[in-house]
Amino acid sequence: MSPAPPRHADPSGPASADPIAGRSPWPPVRHRARVLSNRRVAEATWWLELESPEIAAASRPGQFVMIGYGVDNLAPPLLPRPFSVGWRSDDGRVGLLVRTFGSGTRRMSGLEAGDETLLLGPLGRPFRLEEDRPIQCVAGGVGLAPFLFLAGEARARGREVRLLYGERTGARVFDLDLVRRLTGGPAEVWTEDGSAGRKGLVLDGIDLTEDPLLLGCGPGAMLRALADLAARRGASLQVSVEEHMGCGVGTCQGCVVPRAGGGWAKACVEGPVFDAGALDWGVP
Amino acid sequence: MVSGRGDGAASAADRLRQRLFGTEFQSPVLLASGTCGYGREYEGLVPLDEIGGLVTKAVSVEPREGNPPHRIAETPGGMINAIGLHNVGLDRFIDEKLPWLRDNLTRARVFVNVVGRTVDDFAEVVARLDGEDGFLGFEINVSCPNVKGGTMFGTDEASLSQLVGRLRRETDRPIVVKLTPNVPDIGRFARLCEEEGADGLSAINTFPGMLIDIERRQPVIGNVTGGVSGPAILPMGVYSTWKAASATSIPIMGIGGIRSAEDALQYVLAGASLVQVGTALFVDPSSAEGIHLGLAGWLERHGIPALSEVVGALEVPEPRPPVEAGTGG
Repeated sequence: MSPAPPRHADPSGPASADPIAGRSPWPPVRHRARVLSNRRVAEATWWLELESPEIAAASRPGQFVMIGYGVDNLAPPLLPRPFSVGWRSDDGRVGLLVRTFGSGTRRMSGLEAGDETLLLGPLGRPFRLEEDRPIQCVAGGVGLAPFLFLAGEARARGREVRLLYGERTGARVFDLDLVRRLTGGPAEVWTEDGSAGRKGLVLDGIDLTEDPLLLGCGPGAMLRALADLAARRGASLQVSVEEHMGCGVGTCQGCVVPRAGGGWAKACVEGPVFDAGALDWGVP
Repeated sequence: MVSGRGDGAASAADRLRQRLFGTEFQSPVLLASGTCGYGREYEGLVPLDEIGGLVTKAVSVEPREGNPPHRIAETPGGMINAIGLHNVGLDRFIDEKLPWLRDNLTRARVFVNVVGRTVDDFAEVVARLDGEDGFLGFEINVSCPNVKGGTMFGTDEASLSQLVGRLRRETDRPIVVKLTPNVPDIGRFARLCEEEGADGLSAINTFPGMLIDIERRQPVIGNVTGGVSGPAILPMGVYSTWKAASATSIPIMGIGGIRSAEDALQYVLAGASLVQVGTALFVDPSSAEGIHLGLAGWLERHGIPALSEVVGALEVPEPRPPVEAGTGG
């Protein structure tokens, strides 16, 4: 077939009127992006950098991209996969944090410099950091990804950011020198077995004395515990959620999460960042 | 062999244009129900008014919340889904969704996918939409595998007859029935729809399927079972289209695993006048446009002035004598 020309958003002009309240910017950029580098940074963990000036320029912390291989590809995965924008640079690079779980992430771990992928993004609602309060990011595992981006941007603007980062074991801890380089500051590391950083759960590091803005991203059980803590202590919490996703733009209705008060919210366009109170944490 | 017929200098638009269901389709490529929302979700991303059109997410009388997650997962060469007909319901569809379709899609044709639990449910959706603007006709969903009773009308001949006959009395707009492949002989169901006054057929909906997480020993899909779509079902869709086309003389929209112009042409040769693209849109939102352009290019390269010339143009060779023993054939 004749490939259709990529459809780019016009970066010079304002995005068109947002067809779905809160979704921004729209339309997203779709293009073939070149892999610049991909390196293993911890057990089963990769740091992938892609060349995508338009997505780099348009992304805000908490937003994601769909990364795929196009309709001519029949090797798994078929469907594109959502990834938090993990970082961006002024020279047009986008960084993604990849941990191998299934066919999609295995293929991503094998990408090499010069390979091409299909990118669609940025998508979804970002974290909201309007209030000038200290920020505490609570990251579990690859939930670190959006906070590498966020901590870097916020620290560069003079915001106080604590980056709390938990892993099961030390072998899985992301390259901490790279964290410092990407975010302009340290991460406070917890491991469940104590083999790196402090022993315990990342939630143990939360300190609510200065009424911080809590931001969470990680496994479902961690987010549930975090939401429970925030609700009990009256803390403000935004979470970035994860669910199997088909289209990334709200058409397939595949990526729903339970909404407080009943019904389902689409993680792709209503999230992936939600106020914790907007979701129902009682439903598995 | 399909041969060139001296088409002069037909334009791509000329080659792809067809007159069907009493109107003009500028392209044979439509977006399948459930993969394009109510159209607006793809605004600015898919050139909706440049292609053949779209079929909306199913509309039921009442709003439906749909199934618990996971609602989708990847399968070999495809995907499985059990969305559960999550939709805004008839009132909100008329108030909030239809006006956008009416105002923004002037050349693309819109079918509203209709679902119900009873004949009266279907009839209410059709009757209330009949007088509205912004769409061409109805695609009747008797083939959703993901809700209780979703395929009831599509797998029982008496129920299907009753439903299509009733809907025919409710509207003069085009009625297209979306068939399930999950019957012994889809040709019988296709013929029955034609006899009851259907104007066209969509072949096919998803195949019922299941995916199991072996570590958790649980189904991956929240609804336990789902419908399988994507490239893996292409040959089954082509087969069903061929069977349905062989049994009827009404237009068919071919659906199932189409991701290229070549895939679409298999359906066309099997008897489909139009095709619908679904899973491929998730893989790449530009795929429908790519298929549209690819079809025009294929017709031009083959010197065929109009797509309609190859609809149902499959040539099945006469049976050959059996291969003799020892030839290795």
